[in-house]
Amino acid sequence: MEFLLNPYYLQIIMFIIINAILGISIYLTLATGQLSLGNAGFMSIGAYVSALLTLKVGVPLYVAVPLGGAAACLMAAVIGIPTTRLRGIYLAIATLGFGEVVRVIILNLTITNGALGLSGIPSMSVMLSKGITVIGLAAGIGGMSVRQLGNLSVILILAIILGLLVFFALRLSTSRVGRAFAAIKADEHAAEVSGIDTRYYKLLAFFMGAFVAGIAGGLAAHITFYIGPKDFAYHRAVEILLFAVLGGSDVVWGPLLGSVILTLLPEVLRFATEYREMIYGGILVIMMAFRPQGIISEDTLRFWQKKITSKPTISEQKEISRRTTR
Amino acid sequence: MTLVVEQVTKQFGGLMALTNINFTVNSGEIVGVIGPNGAGKTTLFNLITGVLEPSSGEILYKNHSLVGLKPHKITELGIARTFQNIRLFDHLTALDNVLVGAHCRTQGGLWQGVWHTRAQQREERNTREKARELLDLVGIGEEESSLAAALPYGKQRRLEIARALASQPNLLLLDEPAAGMNESETDDLQVLIKKIQERGVSIILIEHDMGLVMNICDKLVVLNFGKKIAEGVPQFVQDHPAVIEAYLGKEEE
Repeated sequence: MEFLLNPYYLQIIMFIIINAILGISIYLTLATGQLSLGNAGFMSIGAYVSALLTLKVGVPLYVAVPLGGAAACLMAAVIGIPTTRLRGIYLAIATLGFGEVVRVIILNLTITNGALGLSGIPSMSVMLSKGITVIGLAAGIGGMSVRQLGNLSVILILAIILGLLVFFALRLSTSRVGRAFAAIKADEHAAEVSGIDTRYYKLLAFFMGAFVAGIAGGLAAHITFYIGPKDFAYHRAVEILLFAVLGGSDVVWGPLLGSVILTLLPEVLRFATEYREMIYGGILVIMMAFRPQGIISEDTLRFWQKKITSKPTISEQKEISRRTTR
Repeated sequence: MTLVVEQVTKQFGGLMALTNINFTVNSGEIVGVIGPNGAGKTTLFNLITGVLEPSSGEILYKNHSLVGLKPHKITELGIARTFQNIRLFDHLTALDNVLVGAHCRTQGGLWQGVWHTRAQQREERNTREKARELLDLVGIGEEESSLAAALPYGKQRRLEIARALASQPNLLLLDEPAAGMNESETDDLQVLIKKIQERGVSIILIEHDMGLVMNICDKLVVLNFGKKIAEGVPQFVQDHPAVIEAYLGKEEE
């Protein structure tokens, strides 16, 4: 128990969930086929706004984090209205530029404390630990200290948020709006002629991605005590995109799996620190060569659904495996 | 009058794709647009559906100007189309393709979709039912759960028609629906187009298959090099000297 609940592991679990939320944010924009690299920028806006609100204004956390998301959404309106006209690589470059602009602005403002970043951000786990002490569990329960309980409650809250977002994304994908997204992703022109206001839905997806990224930023800020402009540089934007590239972007499970793997990988590869980046890069190259659609695609889901719902005959199984390896 | 095309001109730089085109489509009519390749037939469709804007002239649908409207608005008004080179949503099932077509006739928003409200469930059931009817109408009811990309060519063409019909159009534009079809498939298509007409839908048909055109069109508009060279009932157009010249060339004097 003591071994499993050490702060290091608990923090990794928190990071995994935060990254999974970021994975959902990229999934939402990619659902309309928009390749946006601005999610790191939106994350930083969410992080700074909610951190500043709790630090300087004393706004409670549960208000500050949604406000951070709203601020990211507002920024998405400013950047999104001109850029959603762009497609493919042009949108990627424009949003990548946007992320850098945000970073440089944060670097130069006094309120954000420039390159030094913000420290001493009220910690979610400390706050929850205090709450636990107040309700009379100062000694902890079941052999767990107050600090562990605090951390576990943070994880619980994060997991609930993630669960809600996954539920949202799953329901969305089978709804009228989700079908409009899928149609735009498949063929924007045909979608428009079929009666879909493509501009509206692309903006909607862009906003949702920004909001979720902003929420992730706010949560991250209140877990790590410290944020600086370096945390949101372009490598972060690429990292978020990689969740979708590795896991797949067809279904929401793809970016989720991608974020879990890519967050765990650096920890697992800690013994080979010097080679870490190399292994990381190597895995991606292999992925692109053999499974460019990502680990989980719609076919994967169909394959497992079929397997679970009916017991296929041996010849059918052969057929299925032949099809999936193709 | 369902559609009035008035003095429509479309210029791409120095190229006159269409020059002063006039014609009308009456309610319930099938109008064929024929002419050699590059005559401007698809450009005409693009102008009517708002994909392109005319350089000058006016397009009226039920006395409503279409010029400057976005394509999705025009679809909402009741004009749907298919494409010369099939443009389905490949990774969606046949049924989903038709459901996307019904988009502008349904309301379910983001929250309704996420919370599965009663209104949303009812709408979803109705839309699905109607979409299945359309798949049956075009004859691919059995294939509702196959991916659009996995369907054979002829069925893809039919699915595209079903998708267009899902937007409940009053005017349907078919861009070479019989392209690449064999004789029996074309015969089936002819029956289908007639069935659609019986539902009260006016149709403009671009087609190279003269047999089909002569059989089902109430009126033909013949284009050549962006100009209308003849208009009238099929028999009249067939014997028109300008049409014969455009298709067969002129006899040396």
